[in-house]
Amino acid sequence: MARLLTESGVSRNAFYSLARKDSVLPNSIRAIAARLGVRTSDFLQDEDVRIAKASLLLRKVDKITGKYPDVDRENAKHTLLLLEEEPVERLRRALIRGQKPDIH
Amino acid sequence: MGKNLIFTDTEVAFLRELKRQKVEFMIVGLSAAALQGAPVVTQDVDLWFANLDDPNLRKALKRVGGIFIPSSGLNPPMLAGDSVKLFDIVVNMHGLKSFSEELLTAEMVRLGGVRIPVLPLARIITSKSAVGREKDRIVMKVLQDALKSRMALAPRRSQGPSGRLSRSKAG
Repeated sequence: MARLLTESGVSRNAFYSLARKDSVLPNSIRAIAARLGVRTSDFLQDEDVRIAKASLLLRKVDKITGKYPDVDRENAKHTLLLLEEEPVERLRRALIRGQKPDIH
Repeated sequence: MGKNLIFTDTEVAFLRELKRQKVEFMIVGLSAAALQGAPVVTQDVDLWFANLDDPNLRKALKRVGGIFIPSSGLNPPMLAGDSVKLFDIVVNMHGLKSFSEELLTAEMVRLGGVRIPVLPLARIITSKSAVGREKDRIVMKVLQDALKSRMALAPRRSQGPSGRLSRSKAG
């Protein structure tokens, strides 16, 4: 244990302070989860899902630019994000942006 | 909330009515590109009709409270009325084949429960290259990148002559 803490850069005080608690999560998170009737781990899983989705998106962008090096990564990324939307939503976004007079 | 939305059931109702009346048309231009995922902006939805004299076009317009205004002088024909104000009529599509030939390779996109023919991205690029206006040149890179992005992620499909993504014979 001492070696693990040393290699992790965590002090013994910090570790035992956490170990004595009922949960390592802040009370605020636990209170929100209780109010929503969900497990606190759901919040963590949600983050995992977002990270996984972002990673997948970037891998796809890599694949596109790997095949077509001249493609702008931002254009590829926004195309992929729009393709996740329903067609009518893609059109709405294009029209909303196109009708704002203050866009430069 | 609904008032803030653009392209609502009102506009979809017009497209649905065009289909119901069997009016031959397709969505072209940047709105067509947006429907296929291109990150572009546009101010209207361009419609290309097989025949502007089709009486069913008038019938569809009437059902949604719109009217057809024929061309006069330098002004091209247009649609008027709240329900159709987002739509523009395109008379000539430069660099393309006839309407009926292009319709054969149109992408079918589901909008509000109806399948609407949409000019494929590659054909939009061809058309805009032929016109060559400054605003077309500005958006060309985005359109080409969007097309390549779709093609790169469709390994089992190949780009047909129309630009439509079709199943590869080898696949």
